[in-house]
Amino acid sequence: MRSALVISVASGLFLAIAALNGAIGPGSFGAPGGAQAAETAQKPAAKPVAAKPGDPAAVDYLRAQWNPIHFKPAIDKATDADCLGCHQEIGKAKPRDASPAGVKAADTQAWYQTLDTYEGAQADFHWRHISSPFAKQVMNLSCTFCHQGNDPREESPHVTATDGKGAIQTAWERNEPPFTLRKMVNPSETCLRCHGAFPATSMGLEGKWHELREGMESPDAPNGCLTCHADQFRLVRHQVNYLRPDAIEKLAAAGSSDTCFGCHGGRAWYRISYPYPRHDWKDMPTEIPDWAKDRPKQSDARFLTKTK
Amino acid sequence: MANTVDKAKIKEAAQAKKRETYVPVVPDMQLGFIHNNVDCIGCRACEIACKDKNGLPPGPRFRRVQYVEGGTYPEVYAYKINMSCNHCAEPACLPTCPTGAIFKRQKDGIVDIDSTLCIGCRRCEAACPFGAPQYNPELNIVQKCNMCVDEIDAGRKPYCVMGCMMRVLDIGPIDKLRDGTHETKARAPHESIVRQVKNMADPELTNPSIVFVAHSKGRVK
Ligand code: HEC
Ligand code: HEC
Ligand code: HEC
Ligand code: HEC
Ligand code: HEC
Repeated sequence: MRSALVISVASGLFLAIAALNGAIGPGSFGAPGGAQAAETAQKPAAKPVAAKPGDPAAVDYLRAQWNPIHFKPAIDKATDADCLGCHQEIGKAKPRDASPAGVKAADTQAWYQTLDTYEGAQADFHWRHISSPFAKQVMNLSCTFCHQGNDPREESPHVTATDGKGAIQTAWERNEPPFTLRKMVNPSETCLRCHGAFPATSMGLEGKWHELREGMESPDAPNGCLTCHADQFRLVRHQVNYLRPDAIEKLAAAGSSDTCFGCHGGRAWYRISYPYPRHDWKDMPTEIPDWAKDRPKQSDARFLTKTK
Repeated sequence: MANTVDKAKIKEAAQAKKRETYVPVVPDMQLGFIHNNVDCIGCRACEIACKDKNGLPPGPRFRRVQYVEGGTYPEVYAYKINMSCNHCAEPACLPTCPTGAIFKRQKDGIVDIDSTLCIGCRRCEAACPFGAPQYNPELNIVQKCNMCVDEIDAGRKPYCVMGCMMRVLDIGPIDKLRDGTHETKARAPHESIVRQVKNMADPELTNPSIVFVAHSKGRVK
């Protein structure tokens, strides 16, 4: 502890600074807006952080790091504004203009950056998920969608995300830990939803999408996914508060299959695909394929939108 | 270094591969780690040896020993988990890299970052399920364990393994570590091997090249 005197106000100081600064970071890096933000704003304020103006130099770093907001149960009530109060750096992080050997960021391009939906320069990971033009259109990710806790001491949920008896506290269904060893997130429950492999086997398709699509797309029907997904298969989809289902369908109908493929194989960091829930759809076949036998029929309860 | 013509070619090549996902290198032989969670005493000599070798400031830790403790008296327990980069068969970090700084060696499957090509976008750090890539705020680049490739190429073992006084950390061909045919002090003949321990990310994501001798409280399923 650096100074015992500042403790009582320490944890809240950054918040006020954020408020003074107004807009945070590139784009509109505030709460991602929309229905969810409005909803969280109405919740009774269970804020472990008090917003008081002050001198940021006086903030006790260790105390802030251990602020209850990082842990269960307070993290479940935290809004993006609460987090950004201290973590403005998240919106400001920027890659280098050039690598130490002189490779210019502007001259480089990753394979997934060739998707039709990709816009803008090399940017930060958080910005891409919260403030990029495409992200703002199709999704609504809050800090706590990904961050369900953190542990500064051991980077293990057993220290800070357990109840009195030592059982892991988790909001993820399937009893997945809130975050995994050495991580600040649980990749299987977060990233994998949008960065898994193209689930060709579930579709009875063989091969890779860049080959398959050739027979399915034409200039007037540039979205090959919709050949099958417009009125045949899995028509109930994306009804969760971290996505924008209507915008996704609109963009997908007007644009190319990259809109869909991006989240379902076009940015695949992982070799498997997320075991998506399998919602009933109109006129679905009665027979359940083997791979779908253990699948839930509903999205995770905590993400259900009210309209459903 | 690439001249301007090459750079234009790189962009063209990327465009030509549109929508093609990354196909991982299949190494001739894959090296991996073994760690004995039970016999490790948590002295962190491996961590320090690693920091020393790589000249790391406080902050980034290529290797980390995690202390897992719990239970209520009289049934208490403590064990250690020790991970650096797992040199995955299908690394998640590699396909996120926009500059090609990350590569996997054909010879032994070691995954390395050429930090001179790194623009510090931190995508590899985010995508790695095991927290291996470490951000260096001073240089604004990401660095990580490369299993001490220079030592490997010289026929020796990495610094962490050499620093381990309990001989609970070792490397070897991962297939042989998995089926127990590789001779190592890290595992006693009666001890069995697992791919995953409690609270570790799902190995199905990337197929990490690491095995553990797990503690009874650290088993999954
Ligand atoms: C009172 C100020 C404060 C608030 C509010 C706050 N944090 Fe933090 N947080 C910190 C400090 C200080 C650290 C330590 C920073 C570091 O080590 O980089 C930290 C660390 C973290 C880390 C780990 C960073 C690392 O490098 O280990 C994450 C992830 C994080 N916070 C997320 C959040 C999220 C999500 C919220 C909102 C639910 C939040 N924080 C709210 C002050 C705060
Ligand atoms: C798409 C998922 C996702 C979202 C949304 C997200 N984060 Fe993160 N965040 C990550 C990942 C992944 C990391 C890398 C940490 C790791 O290696 O586990 C990270 C790292 C961090 C860190 C540590 C970074 C550092 O510089 O050391 C902080 C602090 C943080 N996030 C805060 C936030 C805040 C505040 C928000 C909301 C504005 C937010 N995050 C939204 C996934 C996310
Ligand atoms: C709800 C869907 C969703 C989730 C969950 C998600 N992402 Fe993404 N991710 C996207 C989209 C969409 C883009 C592309 C944004 C764009 O084109 O502007 C993207 C882009 C990326 C990129 C490329 C960034 C760039 O600058 O090109 C990386 C790396 C990434 N995500 C990693 C992750 C990791 C790691 C996680 C888990 C912590 C995660 N994502 C969670 C949807 C998601
Ligand atoms: C030839 C028809 C066809 C095309 C083209 C097609 N799909 Fe599918 N898709 C299917 C079928 C059939 C299923 C499985 C239906 C069921 O649940 O029985 C499916 C299932 C899925 C699932 C759920 C997988 C799971 O494991 O739950 C996703 C996600 C998906 N498709 C996305 C896409 C995307 C994105 C594209 C375009 C890049 C696409 N599909 C193109 C027929 C198709
Ligand atoms: C921003 C990323 C993103 C985009 C864009 C996207 N999806 Fe998805 N998709 C998801 C996520 C996340 C889920 C899981 C939602 C849940 O939790 O129920 C999902 C679920 C699905 C499912 C399973 C449906 C079920 O039974 O619940 C299908 C099929 C699917 N998507 C097809 C598509 C198609 C077709 C498109 C283009 C029209 C598309 N996706 C665009 C992220 C995306």
